[in-house]
Amino acid sequence: GVLAHLELLEAQAREAAVKQEEREQQEEKLARLKARVQELRLQRDELRAKVDLQQKGQPGKEGAASNPAQPTARAVIEWKIRSIKAMLQVFYLTGISGKLTKQGVCFCISTAYEGTYLDSYYLDLLTKPEVQIYRHSVPVFIPLQQIAKKYLQTDIRRFLSVLSDHLNAYVGRRHQADQLQEHFSDQIEGTLQRNSLCNLLVFNYNVSSTSKTFPFNVRLLYGDLCCSLPTEVTVSCTPDAPASLAETAAAHSDLFRRVGLHKAFRSFSGAAGSVA
Amino acid sequence: MDNSIYKAYEDEIQSLEEEIKLLTEKYEDSQQESTSFSDEQILMSIKSLETEFQGESEGRESPSDLKAQLESLERGLSFLMKFTGIQFTSHSKKTVEKTQNRTVQKHRLLGNCHSLSFQLEFQLLEIQNKENVSAVITDLSIIMESGEDSDMSKFVSSTEERGNLLAFFRSLSCYAEWYEHRRSTFLHFK
Repeated sequence: GVLAHLELLEAQAREAAVKQEEREQQEEKLARLKARVQELRLQRDELRAKVDLQQKGQPGKEGAASNPAQPTARAVIEWKIRSIKAMLQVFYLTGISGKLTKQGVCFCISTAYEGTYLDSYYLDLLTKPEVQIYRHSVPVFIPLQQIAKKYLQTDIRRFLSVLSDHLNAYVGRRHQADQLQEHFSDQIEGTLQRNSLCNLLVFNYNVSSTSKTFPFNVRLLYGDLCCSLPTEVTVSCTPDAPASLAETAAAHSDLFRRVGLHKAFRSFSGAAGSVA
Repeated sequence: MDNSIYKAYEDEIQSLEEEIKLLTEKYEDSQQESTSFSDEQILMSIKSLETEFQGESEGRESPSDLKAQLESLERGLSFLMKFTGIQFTSHSKKTVEKTQNRTVQKHRLLGNCHSLSFQLEFQLLEIQNKENVSAVITDLSIIMESGEDSDMSKFVSSTEERGNLLAFFRSLSCYAEWYEHRRSTFLHFK
């Protein structure tokens, strides 16, 4: 009885010690976290004050050096480095940018649809013994080798320009289809079929007339790979559709030829999506 | 061990660290954007940097590294301007809005492409998505020196409307070359 009792007391004491240690560790950790929060709050408040002072100190664009203290040579150089980097980033917006490499040049072709910049593609070129494409990220369905064969050796600028036309047109077509699926999925029936080059699109969409909806089928062929508007448009409706819808089909067909897909659909919705 | 008591502090620490990072970037951006040094000041700084002691660096780049970095960047920029024919003569930007995922900057860009001068102003919105950064141009304003050409002004206004900065630059090179060719041909026959 006594031994068992002693063992029990021992176990209880051990348990209590463990619990005590846990509590102490917990308190320690909490104290550390609290201190860290205080430290960061102070740092944040100092920075806020600094930034506010900055904003007040420059009501407009003065252009002249705003540091009252004389800047160090290092600060001036670091400013210039950041300045050039910013300028190089602007080149990205022009469509052709790049940097010199040990073996040649690595070009970057940027693409955009109107004001939205989309994917960019890289071309790592070697310049000796002759201009060659070392590596690239151009998709396989873009006729890169054909374009290179024609222009790479004789006129690199032209080569990049033609490649850029292909890439921009492809990305533009893809963007239109993506935007259509994203914003007008309620009007599309079934899936939008497209190939990887996005130069062939086939889908069905709903047009309502006199409180009934009729499916239209559209086939868009983009014959010019450097263009993001289709060269051939076929809009057809089902045989049981009213005759007036044939006019609508013709109007839509004409619109698809002239205007971006998603914009065409936006204009349908604008007209309350229905035709009398 | 109940970890939820720590959570409130840990969350606040994380949010404070993010805020500090953002504020630091804002401060540095604003310093950069409101400062301007002349070419002479830069040349003088390069010279004086060369006479600095090596030991002074303590974790930052050595003066010779900085100089090398500057030269390499200048070479790269010079190459691009020569290759594309687009020379930027002045660039200023101002960060108008900066949050964790969004940055809005106003840019003012002056330059020329062959003999055609342009002045651009636009707003650039960058949004950080899960996979990449998307960039959108708004409020595009284009002023061309040779504004008399009616085709050019039609092109410029439709480009402005759609914020189509990329198309502007792509067409600018073509147009500038053609314009240059036409001008020299005209002069030849004068």
